[in-house]
Amino acid sequence: MFSKRNVTTYAIAFAFILVLNFLLPRMMPGDPLMAIYGDEALIAMTPELRAQLVERFALDQSLWQQAGAYFLALFQGELGHSYYYNAPVLTVILGRLPWTLLLVGTSLVLSTVLGIVLGLESGWRRGSRADRAMLAGLMSLNGFPDFFLGMLLLIIFGAGLGIFPLAGALTPYSGLSGLALVLDILRHLFLPVAALTLSHLASGYLLTRNTMITVLKEPYMLTARAKGLPPRILKYRHAGRNSMLPVVTSTGIWIGRVVTGAIFVELVFAYPGVGSLIYEALLTRDYPVIQGVFLLVAIFVLAANFLVDLSYPKLDPRVSYAY
Amino acid sequence: MHIDIKKEIKESGPGKTGLIILLLMIAAALLAPVLAPYDPAQQTTASLLSPSLSHWLGTNHVGQDIWSRLLFGARTSLLVGFGVGILSTLLGTIFGLSAALIGGLYEKVVMRVVDAFIVIPMVIIVVLVAAYIKPSISILILLLSLLSWQGGSRIIRAQALSLKERGHVAAAKSFGANYFYIAWRHIVPDLGPILLVDFICGVRRAVFMEAGLAFLGISDPTLVSWGMMMRDALSFSYLNVWQWWLVPTGVALSLTIIGLTFISHAAEPVIEPRLRGAEIA
Repeated sequence: MFSKRNVTTYAIAFAFILVLNFLLPRMMPGDPLMAIYGDEALIAMTPELRAQLVERFALDQSLWQQAGAYFLALFQGELGHSYYYNAPVLTVILGRLPWTLLLVGTSLVLSTVLGIVLGLESGWRRGSRADRAMLAGLMSLNGFPDFFLGMLLLIIFGAGLGIFPLAGALTPYSGLSGLALVLDILRHLFLPVAALTLSHLASGYLLTRNTMITVLKEPYMLTARAKGLPPRILKYRHAGRNSMLPVVTSTGIWIGRVVTGAIFVELVFAYPGVGSLIYEALLTRDYPVIQGVFLLVAIFVLAANFLVDLSYPKLDPRVSYAY
Repeated sequence: MHIDIKKEIKESGPGKTGLIILLLMIAAALLAPVLAPYDPAQQTTASLLSPSLSHWLGTNHVGQDIWSRLLFGARTSLLVGFGVGILSTLLGTIFGLSAALIGGLYEKVVMRVVDAFIVIPMVIIVVLVAAYIKPSISILILLLSLLSWQGGSRIIRAQALSLKERGHVAAAKSFGANYFYIAWRHIVPDLGPILLVDFICGVRRAVFMEAGLAFLGISDPTLVSWGMMMRDALSFSYLNVWQWWLVPTGVALSLTIIGLTFISHAAEPVIEPRLRGAEIA
């Protein structure tokens, strides 16, 4: 199903992101070249380069012509040049992307699955001691900012107990390969994933639990119970499947949250992904990189949301009648 | 719609806990100048001291008293939190209500924009904008509010749509009441609990965001902020300072957010009455 409403929503979101990315550096007081290219570029700046850049961005022309030049470059896949890394922005980002995808993907899957299972169990036992303990525990966990949770894990398991490495994504210059390399990567991945998963567990849990509570009151649950079905089947097949639906709708929003959470967690663990890249770019005022990452991450989150929206009516046909 | 939100919060265990935590934080923020033994910004040569009677939580790398900074940090956190809470609830109410009452093309446009902003990852935008404009505290409040009223306005609109069909609104209309009068006299009073929940969620988001931005180092460096304290503490974590520098700060921040989470969860049946009685049991 391809509803008009959906497409308009995403078109507006996309347009806003592009316009913001274009206008922000050009609205800053002072030299726009400086705002577009950052401090680092000024060191490398020669009159020839300056003239070339001014021409490329049409900076001596009207805002409309600048916009034209900007969008033309963008649609050719040109995200600009980082003077700090002395490489095209796209190359810099793509080099970091696999680590972030690994971190975000693992955490997203783990937190969603764990959240659903805990939510189902908790909602099923609503009001019991186990339910209340889980509710209070997970809500408290939710209050810990991901970067603080990361730092605590780092201090306890990394520095204190020495079980896990303190930083990075693999042991440098170790020359590992094959299985040993995979294990090394997993060992480095464990703490960052734990921090991200734990801090994002609560949303899935709370949503599943809430839905479970309302689903349990449905007449078809009474029927299933009357048929004498065992609790396991009732819980997971009848109530569980229906309780998962809102979780699917929210996955899109969560992808955005986990991705932004990754920025902070990567910084804590010095994990060499896009998040650390943003941080380094903020420190060095490498504006082309900040802008490039911003654009790619925003587009990625929008695309993920859009796919979730598209797939939802297939999972729950009732929705297609709602439009 | 007539659910007593005060009762709802008071009757739930976590709700009460949350309220107490929040009140303590507010007290710490208000009384900071009285409770703090030192000027939080005063730099001294006594840097990186361990906790002692004169410095309860020791001092940081530029010799500032950590306990005093912790107290003043509550001010920044709660000021940003409540500022954004008020402003974003106000914006959400204005757009949600007007969309519901005016309807037509206006409603369509407003709701499409709202939907669009809900799918945009807000943190990323705030980081980008903050990286350029280095926001002062008031600009930060404005920025966060502009980006966070949309979720609430959706709920407010949905509620207002059902409220405006009620008999008393129709009666008011038949006497020639205008939109503004109807909204203010007949709809806003019944929206009270929803507005409160929206406000609390706004506060929580803002407290979180302020700390996050300061942690990334892109907020006003002259402000005393928990996020910035944690960022500084992280860079000295190889000295055992985390015990009195990082952990108390992180715990203060987490407690504030947890308190707000508990309150908003206890008040949730206001939005979803089917959840009522879930915790009381």
